[in-house]
Amino acid sequence: MLEPVLSINHLQVSIRSRDGSMNEVTKDVTLELRDHEFVSVVGPSGSGKTTLLRAASGLRMPSGGEVLFEGRPVTEVPKGMAIVFQEYNKSLFPWLTIGKNVAIGAKEYPQPERVTRVEEALEQVGLKGFSTRYPWELSGGMQQRAALARAMVSNPKVLMMDEPFASVDALTRNHLEDVVQRLWAESNFSALMVTHDVGEAVYLSDRVFVLSARPSTILAEIKIDLPRPRSHLETKQMHRFVELQAEVLERVEEAGRESVGLPDDL
Amino acid sequence: MTSTQNVATAEQKSRFYSFSLGWLGLLALILLWQLAAILINKTIFPSFTTSIVAALHLITGPIFETDILPSIERTLEGFLISAVIGIAVGMLVGHYKSARSWTTSVFDFLRSLPTPLLVPVAVVIFGLNGHMVVATIVSGAIWPILINTANGTSTIEPTMIDTAKTYGLKGRSLFLRVVLPAASPQIFAGLRIALSVSLVIMVVAEMLGGGSGIGYFIANAQQSFNINGSYGGVIILAALGWIFDTSFLMLERRILSWQRGTVGGSANA
Repeated sequence: MLEPVLSINHLQVSIRSRDGSMNEVTKDVTLELRDHEFVSVVGPSGSGKTTLLRAASGLRMPSGGEVLFEGRPVTEVPKGMAIVFQEYNKSLFPWLTIGKNVAIGAKEYPQPERVTRVEEALEQVGLKGFSTRYPWELSGGMQQRAALARAMVSNPKVLMMDEPFASVDALTRNHLEDVVQRLWAESNFSALMVTHDVGEAVYLSDRVFVLSARPSTILAEIKIDLPRPRSHLETKQMHRFVELQAEVLERVEEAGRESVGLPDDL
Repeated sequence: MTSTQNVATAEQKSRFYSFSLGWLGLLALILLWQLAAILINKTIFPSFTTSIVAALHLITGPIFETDILPSIERTLEGFLISAVIGIAVGMLVGHYKSARSWTTSVFDFLRSLPTPLLVPVAVVIFGLNGHMVVATIVSGAIWPILINTANGTSTIEPTMIDTAKTYGLKGRSLFLRVVLPAASPQIFAGLRIALSVSLVIMVVAEMLGGGSGIGYFIANAQQSFNINGSYGGVIILAALGWIFDTSFLMLERRILSWQRGTVGGSANA
């Protein structure tokens, strides 16, 4: 079998709380992301999804276990990995135009090529002609698409997404999910997304991992055997989709019940 | 389109009104001064017109090169040195938590020293000259820049820093391409305060031992009962302060133009 693109082995993450004591957020998480696979991690609020993603992408040092990207240990965000954050308005640099923001992802390429790459990436997400605008001139959904373009322009092997659609309205969310689905189908990157939205995870993924309450472990792995390409109208009406969604939701609620009484500020 | 044009003209109108009202206030003050001087009629209180004439004499006379230009140079030099050091140190202190805890008490102590007290020390080190004035300016003007920069840096959204790290911006390029622009609104607020502080310290330092400069000239004029000359000097100082601040605001508006739409949240989200 092929070596996984990203493997997270017995990852443990602790956060120093304000009083100085160490707070274990992630206890033991093991999962691998195979070549051109779409994997989601869902969990109740407070299960440390964002912390897990930050540790898996090298933005935070884990206190135990290891993360391997193409076989090499991750100590900082590796080349070939791109991250899309929930807060697009804080992730795009407000002092740069959309084109210059996207160009940050393309700085590996020499100048004449860089411009065409940026234009292509903007076109891919439906933002052709917006490169001279500033982020604040765009709607929330458009800003997140610009952030996606910045991630895509670096031609990543792995795309990490932290609740990428949580800050937009429902219709925009559907649209963005399909943009991501299309990008993923057209390119050859693997995607790891953390989300609290069970329907979204089932709709997009090949496999869904359910995280337990804090300190979190993997509670369940559910294979999503829905045909691709998927569409909101058709896929979500399928009996199998409803079944899978219910299965994942049941495990998440199970995990949520355990967490009663635990702080959920993360 | 007509509605937007109407809005534009209304905006222009209100801007014109506040602009002319501002000048009206100044005019009223000048009239009051003129009237009071005429009524009191004493040589120690020259009228506005007398003072303006004295100021013009100073600007066109030899004083311009021997005192006014050196004062401008010292102020700008002290301000620029403060800006470079203040912004650089402020970004480091703001970005690294450990650096902050090490330096907080040192900086708090240093910046609470009254600047005029440092003039004798600076005189001992540099002598009675422009270097002393510049050094004294830096000792006072650096703090609003440093503190504001550190504040602006430490309150940058963590997501912004994460984004920078994601795309391989680290070390110098992290500071120059992300931290500096992200903190620039606060940095500019600090710079503006520092610019007026620089002017004040320049005058004080020159009065106490500059050897030359507007402050030195005013102090001398006072002691030799050249009343008109000292009032002329004060008017030149006021004009300088206004010119500095206005040009600074123009520069700020240009550099921070990206900020217009972001202040008060995103208009389109």
